[in-house]
Amino acid sequence: MLRKTIAVAALAFLAVSPAHAEIARIKSSVGAAGIERGAARLPAKPGLQLNPGDTLVTGKDGRISLSFIDNTRFSVGPNSRVSVSEFQYDRTRQKGSFVTQVDRGSLAVVSGKIAKSGRDAMKVRTPNTLLGVRGTKFIVEVPE
Amino acid sequence: MRGPRFAVACLLLGGCATSSLVLLPDDEGHQGSVAVLEAGGKPAEAVIAQGNSRTKLGDPSPSSRPLGTNGLKAQEAALLTNLPPPAKSFLLYFDLGTVTPTAASQGVLAALRTEIASRSGPQVEVTGHTDTVGGEADNDRLSQQRAEEVLNWLAGQGFDRSLMSAVGRGERELKQPSMDNVSSAANRRVEVIVR
Repeated sequence: MLRKTIAVAALAFLAVSPAHAEIARIKSSVGAAGIERGAARLPAKPGLQLNPGDTLVTGKDGRISLSFIDNTRFSVGPNSRVSVSEFQYDRTRQKGSFVTQVDRGSLAVVSGKIAKSGRDAMKVRTPNTLLGVRGTKFIVEVPE
Repeated sequence: MRGPRFAVACLLLGGCATSSLVLLPDDEGHQGSVAVLEAGGKPAEAVIAQGNSRTKLGDPSPSSRPLGTNGLKAQEAALLTNLPPPAKSFLLYFDLGTVTPTAASQGVLAALRTEIASRSGPQVEVTGHTDTVGGEADNDRLSQQRAEEVLNWLAGQGFDRSLMSAVGRGERELKQPSMDNVSSAANRRVEVIVR
């Protein structure tokens, strides 16, 4: 009886516990497209959850699209290397900070709630520039 | 001497362009801006605010050019086409003290199911709320139960639980501000965000 209660409680916990450290999900990918997480390299399959620090990498025929938990949306073009260096979001207060690094390639961004939550709460770094995003849609291109 | 030779190399390679930014209005037509906080390793304080413009990055005070009649390059248009669809929000309502959506909200459940099924790599965020009738602890519990009820219904429709999360916010986020112990149909709700 007790065991059954524990099993039910565990199930209930599973049902309500949010995914661990999830910050974004891959929505689509084509061609050579992967995620670098530390030493691991994962294929960028739809539904894959991103963690802070992950790097999105595409080859010459590769593309990745993803949505973040603050409603920010990314589209990564071919021959790209884009890292989510920092991502913190308080879902209740709808505030956070977000730093993306574009080492090469192209990235389209529609900013979300983090960019709205404070001046330059969302930043994008390229090899020669640091940008502060103030609520908009834009494309950053970094040729090799 | 290095300058001209470098420029020639760039011409031969068909580019060597520095980083660039294309600034566009958002989907609602609102024009935001992008600030240049650092350029070439030095602090800067320029703001790029001209919509539908292209700006070369690297200069502390960059100048923007309109996209003009040529508009976006093909690869830029392809990037925009590949953006995921925006998040969509659904609201379900509840009778006093209950955890089953009202009859009028049953159609919203069907629309919700269709929306999730239509998305690639969907993520579903369910947040339950109550009105101010009853104690705070009871309302935290009730709002959580409302959210879980919706999540369980979706799981019963075949959606994997790993796509979904449910939280209860009790009476902390009233849609219709009210005194304590006021019954409000607008506040007894579950919001579902589909990404």
